[in-house]
Amino acid sequence: MPVTMTKGAFAKAGTSLAFKTGTWRSARPVHVHAAAPCHRACPAGEDQQAWLARMQEGRPREAWESLVAANPLPAVTGRVCPHPCESACNRGKLDAPIAIHALERWLGDEAIRNGWTYPIPTGQPRKERVAVVGAGPAGLSAAYHLVRRHYNVVLFDSMPEAGGLLRSAIPPTRLPRDVLDKELSRLLALGIEFRPRTALGRDVSLDELRNEFDAVFLGVGAGKSRHWDVDGAVPADLHEGLHLLKEWLQVGALPMPKAVAIHGGGNTAVDLARVMKRAGVPEVHLITASGLPGPDTEPDDVLNVVPREFEQAVEEGVKFYPHRTINRLIMRGSKVVGVEMVRLKKLPGANGRKTRVAFEGTETVLHVDMVVPAIGEVVDPAGVEALLHGKDYFPADRFGRLDGQAGIFVGGDARAWVKGYPNGTVTAAVGDGRRAAEAIDAFLSGRAPVEEERPPIPYEALNLAYYEPSTRIELPTLALERRNDSDEIEGGPTAAQAAAEADRCFSCGNCLACDNCWTLCPDNAVIKTVETASDGSHYVFDLEYCKGCGLCAHECPCGFIAMEAEAE
Amino acid sequence: MTETTDLRAKQPRFRGLEAGHRACQGCGEALAARLVTEAAGPDVILTNATGCLEVFSTAWPQSAWRVPWLHSLFENSAAIASGVEAALKAQGRRTKVIAQGGDGGTFDIGFQALSGMLERMHNVLYVCYDNEAYMNTGIQRSSSTPHAAMTTTSPPGKARMGKRHMKKDLLSIIAAHHIPYAASASVAYPQDLRRKVRRAMEIDGPTFLLVHSPCPLGWGHDGTLTIEVARLAVQTGLFPLVELERGEVASVMPLRRPVPVAEYLQRQTRFRHLFADGDHRAREEREHLQALADYNIERYGLMGDGDDPFDSEGADTIRRGGPART
Repeated sequence: MPVTMTKGAFAKAGTSLAFKTGTWRSARPVHVHAAAPCHRACPAGEDQQAWLARMQEGRPREAWESLVAANPLPAVTGRVCPHPCESACNRGKLDAPIAIHALERWLGDEAIRNGWTYPIPTGQPRKERVAVVGAGPAGLSAAYHLVRRHYNVVLFDSMPEAGGLLRSAIPPTRLPRDVLDKELSRLLALGIEFRPRTALGRDVSLDELRNEFDAVFLGVGAGKSRHWDVDGAVPADLHEGLHLLKEWLQVGALPMPKAVAIHGGGNTAVDLARVMKRAGVPEVHLITASGLPGPDTEPDDVLNVVPREFEQAVEEGVKFYPHRTINRLIMRGSKVVGVEMVRLKKLPGANGRKTRVAFEGTETVLHVDMVVPAIGEVVDPAGVEALLHGKDYFPADRFGRLDGQAGIFVGGDARAWVKGYPNGTVTAAVGDGRRAAEAIDAFLSGRAPVEEERPPIPYEALNLAYYEPSTRIELPTLALERRNDSDEIEGGPTAAQAAAEADRCFSCGNCLACDNCWTLCPDNAVIKTVETASDGSHYVFDLEYCKGCGLCAHECPCGFIAMEAEAE
Repeated sequence: MTETTDLRAKQPRFRGLEAGHRACQGCGEALAARLVTEAAGPDVILTNATGCLEVFSTAWPQSAWRVPWLHSLFENSAAIASGVEAALKAQGRRTKVIAQGGDGGTFDIGFQALSGMLERMHNVLYVCYDNEAYMNTGIQRSSSTPHAAMTTTSPPGKARMGKRHMKKDLLSIIAAHHIPYAASASVAYPQDLRRKVRRAMEIDGPTFLLVHSPCPLGWGHDGTLTIEVARLAVQTGLFPLVELERGEVASVMPLRRPVPVAEYLQRQTRFRHLFADGDHRAREEREHLQALADYNIERYGLMGDGDDPFDSEGADTIRRGGPART
């Protein structure tokens, strides 16, 4: 039957796709890969969010490879790092932070167990030679990152084995030696030429290194105890904390006083206190100007150890005296028979800077027959006097460069504090080594060193409706009565625990591939490109149709989508 | 062919309602219709009552639908669907018919046709996109508009604080028809919504789905907040998500932690007068709405028994690569 059009218009039926609603838009969605707080907080520069994502995908080897792109020592730092990443973790504001530290350890141990080899990016071999002095965490990290950039690296150390203070000052109960040996032997086998028993200033001079090599990295550490006395008085048989700890680790000798007062609030003080207590010293007292870990203690006033270490020390019977200092040594002849303590606090003075104020009338006496200072260490100037100029540490910048000393780079405990780049930890030393390697590469290539910096993501940028509260994994700890000189106290997670824990990660600032934007766009303007997507590159905004409502940005759990105003 | 056009054709999901429709930014109804047709699949025939959905999806001569779709009048979506279903039955075809309407076309104008369709036991899924007023014609009150909400025909003033009457309890009326399946769903819980659509599609007989679909324009919230507002409607207890079988409550989405109704109300300007300073009626009406939410919680037994992966906080949980597997 013929159709006769008598009225109105005629047009061929068509799809609404011909109508581009994108012209309505005043703002467009964009993917913003912001930095997760764990990544921002990590002194070694790891992107924990990135490797946790690989864990969530069930690819632990890729997770480890992503991790060691920044930090070659996960089995070590997974045991000794004070994990600022966990303190910064956004999940801590919902229930409890991800156990990143334990997962790092698990990945490090898995790599050793399975013999995974360190991934070296492909590239042209470099002819330049770099000397790295000190085979501690800073030197090892620098050497590793230089090898990744295909430089010829010679690593010098005064000791017969690599490891630096990892070997000489950290008890095996915290860092078992077989773990250290396996991690370091695989690292050194990458093609680093290791020259042990070669001390700077004794066997080789700085000038020789400068002549022979194109660049020199100094990761010499802080091996000399800071000077200590009480109003000029020092016991005749004074032993410094680090010295005692090293002696015990190397030859197994430990003094056995009836009661000892250890003065200091860092790892050396706490490690030594625990070693002495476990060895059978009846009374171990630890006197520190800092406060104890707890909700009421300000972050800059707290004992400089991991809270867990403090708790275990208390369990083992170490007595802590926070916010106190030694006012006076009570001597009988040249022997110590006691100390007079006084309470103090670090308070802002007239100039605004914090100074220590002792409170008169709070003096108490402790009867001890030994006092051990463990108040910190400074650089041993032997061989580097020309660079140190009588200072305690090298005044290097964050890339380890020294003013007026082209070709010399410094990192680890040997460098002075730089704002935003605290040091004094293994992890910070690893970060120093990595940045110095970049600076050395830049120096030898005639360019400026760069460090990737992404904007941080705040907790408020996440949409928490899409996350469930979940319980953090519990890790095994060696029972008090079974602790000894050598067995590791902390246990690691099982594979199932590690997988469950990784699943708790919010994926702050990066795509979870959760499909929310794709599912919730009223305009079908989000396009998914791969069925099993794992990062944001798999969703595309179809700007021909996106009306710019911003719903996807609001419902993105991870804060990965932002709205950007369109140009007029 | 541009790159995105090519990718669009390869989407790993069925597209029932395509881009290029003229819905406002952040439209809850467009999202709801998109989700419903995606879950229903291609073997369907749709009918549509007059309303926003009809208007914005079919600006002549274009259509955003990629399935057969009919529109006749405001009041007869269910009647048309009944006829289509009878014709398909006569032809021995199994194609499912889905009747669609807004709350105006369902609660009010098309109510009689809907009741008849249910009574005659047609094999039709009726989906009501509930945005709680006549949005297409300029935000007039419907019998679905909640108590105390402002619309252009229920303005707050000296005599009234918004709409005087209660939201019609349509689900109970549907339940009285003893149909095999009826449920309420929300765009804030797409997994739950899809499951309910698939459930209804499997049933040979009349089924009914009430989908809460925020309207940024009519409710007075930013288009970015459509899902957040819808989520709060569920979490406060004001819009309970329930499933009815043969008129009996078969299942509900439990509330893990009921949210105070003020959280929901203060995000929408249609309830702005309930937060007016110095008007004692504002507080009274807020308490009234809280009491209505509490009534729903009690009546449907919405209080959960401990955390549940399918409760109001667990049901939208996501994980890497998609919704949480539970």
